[in-house]
Amino acid sequence: MIKKIILASLCLALLSGAAFAAGGADKAAAETVVLKMGDNIPDRAAGWGAVIEKINADFKALHPQVQIVTESYQDQAWQEKVKIYATANQLPDVIKYWSFSTLLKPLVDGNFVEPLDMATFQKFGYMAGSLEGNVYNGKLYGIPVSGDLWVIYVNKKLFADAGVALPATWEDVVASVPKFKAKNIVPLVTDGKDGWPLSIMYDNVIQRVTGSFANVDAAITRKAKFTDSEFVQAAKYIQTAVKAGIFQADLVTSDYGASRNLFGQERAAMYLMGSWEMGLAVDPNFSQAFRDNLDVIKFPVIAGGKGKADDLVAWFGGNYILNAKSKNKALALEYLKLYAEKFPAYAWDAQAAFPAQKVTPKATDTIVAKKLLQIAAEAKTTSGTTGLDRSTAAFKEVHQDLMRQLVAGIVTPEAFCAQLDAAAEKASKE
Amino acid sequence: MRSLFEDKKTVAVLAIPPVAIMLFAIMAPLLVSLYFSFMKWSGFGAIKFIGLRNYVELLTADKVFVRSLLNAVALMLVTIFLQNPVAFAVAATLTRLGEKSSRLLRTIYFIPATLSLVVVTKLWVNIFNPTYGILNKILKLAGMEDIAIAWLSDTRTALWSVIWIMIWQGFGWALLFYYSGLMTLPKEIEEAARVDGANRMQLYTKIVIPYLLPVIQAVIVIDVVSSLKQMEIIYLSTEGGPGFYTQFIAVYLYQKAFKYSEYGYGNAISVVFVLIAVALTIAIQRAFKKMSDE
Amino acid sequence: MKTNESAIASRAFGRAVMWIFLAVLAAAQIFPLLWVFSYSLQKSGDLFGPEFFKLPVDPQWNNYFLAWTNGRIPLYLANTLLIVIPSVTLSTVLSFCLAYACSRMTWKLQPLVWFIITVGLTIPIHTTLLPNFIWYRFFGLIDTRLGLVISYVAFSLSFNTIIFAGLLSGIPRSMEESAFIDGASYAAILPKIIAPMAATGFATVGVQTFLNHWNEFIMANTYISTELKRTLPFSIIRFQGQYSSQYAIQFACMALVALPPLALYFIFNRWILAGVAAGAVKG
Repeated sequence: MIKKIILASLCLALLSGAAFAAGGADKAAAETVVLKMGDNIPDRAAGWGAVIEKINADFKALHPQVQIVTESYQDQAWQEKVKIYATANQLPDVIKYWSFSTLLKPLVDGNFVEPLDMATFQKFGYMAGSLEGNVYNGKLYGIPVSGDLWVIYVNKKLFADAGVALPATWEDVVASVPKFKAKNIVPLVTDGKDGWPLSIMYDNVIQRVTGSFANVDAAITRKAKFTDSEFVQAAKYIQTAVKAGIFQADLVTSDYGASRNLFGQERAAMYLMGSWEMGLAVDPNFSQAFRDNLDVIKFPVIAGGKGKADDLVAWFGGNYILNAKSKNKALALEYLKLYAEKFPAYAWDAQAAFPAQKVTPKATDTIVAKKLLQIAAEAKTTSGTTGLDRSTAAFKEVHQDLMRQLVAGIVTPEAFCAQLDAAAEKASKE
Repeated sequence: MRSLFEDKKTVAVLAIPPVAIMLFAIMAPLLVSLYFSFMKWSGFGAIKFIGLRNYVELLTADKVFVRSLLNAVALMLVTIFLQNPVAFAVAATLTRLGEKSSRLLRTIYFIPATLSLVVVTKLWVNIFNPTYGILNKILKLAGMEDIAIAWLSDTRTALWSVIWIMIWQGFGWALLFYYSGLMTLPKEIEEAARVDGANRMQLYTKIVIPYLLPVIQAVIVIDVVSSLKQMEIIYLSTEGGPGFYTQFIAVYLYQKAFKYSEYGYGNAISVVFVLIAVALTIAIQRAFKKMSDE
Repeated sequence: MKTNESAIASRAFGRAVMWIFLAVLAAAQIFPLLWVFSYSLQKSGDLFGPEFFKLPVDPQWNNYFLAWTNGRIPLYLANTLLIVIPSVTLSTVLSFCLAYACSRMTWKLQPLVWFIITVGLTIPIHTTLLPNFIWYRFFGLIDTRLGLVISYVAFSLSFNTIIFAGLLSGIPRSMEESAFIDGASYAAILPKIIAPMAATGFATVGVQTFLNHWNEFIMANTYISTELKRTLPFSIIRFQGQYSSQYAIQFACMALVALPPLALYFIFNRWILAGVAAGAVKG
């Protein structure tokens, strides 16, 4: 009996020794480093996603032992994931995240973000003010990747079908509703489920009423109140326009992908979104006819309002940040530097995105790209960071919630403003 | 001999593993939840003890919480007073049909209940879509364009649309419960009643339903609890919108934690949720006990 | 004479109404699936066409192939099986053991354990989603298939134990007693004598638990973050961004995901019925 036990244990010991040795040998042979990334760009075959894949391929050529694994979700889903990952301390090495004061700052405060060296990145041709927007307590916490302009994409063919001219004022838009409806075309679409496009629209309408971008900031810093007349007027204007039918019927349940698809499938004449969607002009998922008829116009003005079309809502967005708790920090930093170096040229070549860095326009640029450059050049004033991103994360959520309720007709403009003001008050105390 | 049914070692082997799993995966997390319900925490970073503040805000100042309870009640009422009677009537009808037709129909009626909630929800989201959904297409073809609206986005119809999805999916289970209950009814009772001159109506109301009270009770308890528990269908369709018109408790607590980064508050909702579910179940069982005693 | 005729006529009318109603109901239950299935075989753009139902004249079987690849079905399917087979087995076996201990054996803590079982029935799974983030993380169970198995088993124990308890209570004590007299121990009695008598229970509990665990979504979605470990329902969620315009392929994916539970149901529906009878009527 005892002999059997000794023999068994000996065999076991030998086997485990062999397994360890083999495992060790394996380890020494293929030291593949996995670099984990995350972003909100699920489409990797076209547009921005394809540009990133190209950069990834370049990186792999420089660092053959690295394997890049990327997780991508739509906007809101990605935000949720980042929060879940942060809670479980499982953030990827490099992530695309944005909106410093509301989304990034909690991560920075939680020591999840690695500070970057400003001097290193300044040589990549960033536009004035772009890097500075990510500086907190004197440290740079992320690199901005896009210059975001708030515009309206239009499908010229649908306008021609309905016999409508491109709108210069919001009154034009409202007037065009019956003509579009007669042809079964949705006049305007945007992502109403997530709410932030509506919040940005609110900012923009306020400016069109008052002629200044300073009002929103004043209300947030409590030098003014959201219950002041200009804010109520802007809210009322939006609610009236929505009731007149300018948006898709299921606005509040259309998420980012759904609204974009409505436009791409040529069911809608206009798409209220940012310059990062310039890739629509080259998106192979949609028909050539759609791409050929795509154009972009400035956010319309309001009749009798003080704001002009050249007052542009624009900010720097889409930051890339480094996970401070990453096990591959040096490699991740190399990746960021490569990204900063390659992104502007690749993105502009592919006509996929509007970088926060300087680009060289070409004759082969799409109409959309040329127009965006023109809109940016003609801008007389710009807004900087939008209102919902100037305060706390809680304020942003309330802002979005209230906008959704406003367009759904659940809340009156007065009540909307009162609740928004209460939220701003609460946020200012934190 | 008796002692073998009391053998402690066997009881330990049989009972400890499953109970341990339940304590580990259900009871312990609930205690963790209770702990965090007294905290203010965003999910990462500093945790701050704030005592009962979450509960106070939840029970006195939370409009959305109240709305989610009301929505659950709306679902309960539709389920108990619409879906169940239809299921019962259909079950009764099926018991009178031939075996083949009965089996075929039962199979068809139960199909939605086998589907994943992801499939069910995405299915109906597509059907309700105002642009390409089949519901609106049929309405437009029938000339009823005025009501071809955005079912899941319109404040008037959003709640009833999601409730429809829920009762569509659950119909098969209710039917199955009532059918199996009816099948256990001894034929003699029916015949005796017929001999006594009872008509169909009296047969059902005076004899069958009282006989099936345990089944009805089981179904109602399950319906009440599942009305409260609704989560996936809302999460994958309206996410509580428009506004908070289709909000349900389980979705709300999930959003409070992962969307609004109010982890402590979300846990407070969790705790209250458990208490409501347990209290409601006990209340219904007591009510039925009284009914069957009478 | 007249009364008879009108009685027969009205009964025929009644029967017609009944059949129409049953048929409409069947249509309501099935038509949505048929709609999805039909459009899964067409081009995504066809969905936006004016007709409300179109039979696929040119079936795009390729959609199913694309759903299989774009929806990453093989990977997710493998994960689902890796989770569901252990969880269903464990749940069935453990609930049988627990039911036996609670319904046929006498011990001091029995009422307390039975109380835990009945309370467990009312606890919604979503109330553990938040705390498990901390609790499971502490034990390294976050983002693991094992963590899901444990949660699935825990939540199915209550219902399954109640079903088994109902079945077992009908067995006369003489079964065990005569076996004891013959010198058998529990290790032999339970699997060889008692279990076969509860065979329908095993089938029912097994099938029902399988359906539930196979379709489970929210826990898998919340706990599992690594792409390589995701489960089957997630394949439908993949259709966003680049794929969100591929409606037909998403529909094909939905059809594929719906298939296994449907097939299982068709094969085993007898036991589902029996289990419902055992649970509802006796429990």
